[in-house]
Amino acid sequence: MNPHVAQYWLVFLKGAGITLWISWLALILGGLIGAVIGLARTSRWRVLEAAALVYTEVFRSIPPLILFFGCFYGVSYAINLDLSPFGAATIALTAVASAFMSEVVRAGIESVGRGQWEAAQSSGMRYWQIQRYVVWPQAIRVMLPPSVGVYISTLKDSSLASVIGYLELTKSGMLIRETTGVSFDVFLIVATLYFVINYSISLGGAALERRFWFVH
Amino acid sequence: MYQFSLRAISTYFEPLPYAIAMTLWLSLQTIVLSTIVGIVGALCRRSDSLLLRFLGGAYVEVLRNIPLLVVIYLVFFGLAQIGIRVDNFNSALIALTLNAGAYMTEIFRGGLIAIPRGQYLAALSQGMTKLQLYRYVVLPQVVRVIYAPLGNLFIGIIIGSSLSAVIGVEELANWMFYVGNESFRYMESFLIAGLVYVGLAQSVNIGRIVTGRALMRAPGAR
Repeated sequence: MNPHVAQYWLVFLKGAGITLWISWLALILGGLIGAVIGLARTSRWRVLEAAALVYTEVFRSIPPLILFFGCFYGVSYAINLDLSPFGAATIALTAVASAFMSEVVRAGIESVGRGQWEAAQSSGMRYWQIQRYVVWPQAIRVMLPPSVGVYISTLKDSSLASVIGYLELTKSGMLIRETTGVSFDVFLIVATLYFVINYSISLGGAALERRFWFVH
Repeated sequence: MYQFSLRAISTYFEPLPYAIAMTLWLSLQTIVLSTIVGIVGALCRRSDSLLLRFLGGAYVEVLRNIPLLVVIYLVFFGLAQIGIRVDNFNSALIALTLNAGAYMTEIFRGGLIAIPRGQYLAALSQGMTKLQLYRYVVLPQVVRVIYAPLGNLFIGIIIGSSLSAVIGVEELANWMFYVGNESFRYMESFLIAGLVYVGLAQSVNIGRIVTGRALMRAPGAR
């Protein structure tokens, strides 16, 4: 290990912390928006369903890099709102995460059979009661494993915030590279940190899934 | 007050088709190369050798958990430092292939797992050669399992190719950065690039659905 690089260990760790924090924030916000969009996807109103489908497809097919650019430069020029790199990165990441979460939510809701809907309706339950007492308690179990996957992909996408100057893990690596002039070691450390974080999350997710499965 | 105007960037439309072609060219090469990587990787993960299984598994886990951007930097800046000079297009191609290859490996592995062991034995006991076994028993079923995730991965590759812009490959995202920085018309360049990407991704999506319908005609139909 290059000693010039090693002395920046704290900067690497700080960057990793910021990466974890912003992706967590985007996952939570994306989960909330995704739940609304996912509910709309299962709606009986065709217009609502179509609008939700367009939302999901658009944010799944625009590269996140472009979204970061659009949020940071585009918005600030168009409506004279001076977004910080953090603000722009959060909006862009949330948009991407919400599109993926809406698919997760839709699949979760659809995993509960139609028969249960009809049974709940015929016993006089209202739409929200059915969602609250019948569908969601079961759907949440189906949603959990893919949510871990969305968190990991959000964490990876957060690396693109480095392009708009947000000081997360990848940007920290870029700065240390410029300071020390060492590329290979720096990006190897950055890659290793991402791997350790993401692999831990996926292992934790697998453990969580097993626990969840046996709760009946 | 900001006036939205596409006319303001009309002079930049000339290099746009070239940029789109570059995006497609990079994506297409990635698709071909990562398919090869994926087939080799899947065979490794299903092989009888413990070492090959481990290597295949490690490759998938490592590459799936590292952001593509970091892989691009590692290839472009990192290799240059240890004396291997690769130009920006090929750096992007190598990084994209490594990244997509991991997902391809998983898709092909999923396709192979879907076929019960008994079918292999049954085909062989019918006197089929290895080639016939793959041609008539394995492949037709594998294609059905993998076509949907494959379509998603193709979209992922097109989207991923946008990251090559950061190391200066002159494709669609790079065009957007260039136009934005030259004209300060960030919103317009963003919307044009975004629209083209949505168009490309949705073409693949629709193609996938059409392919799916053709495949699902009837069980056993070829």
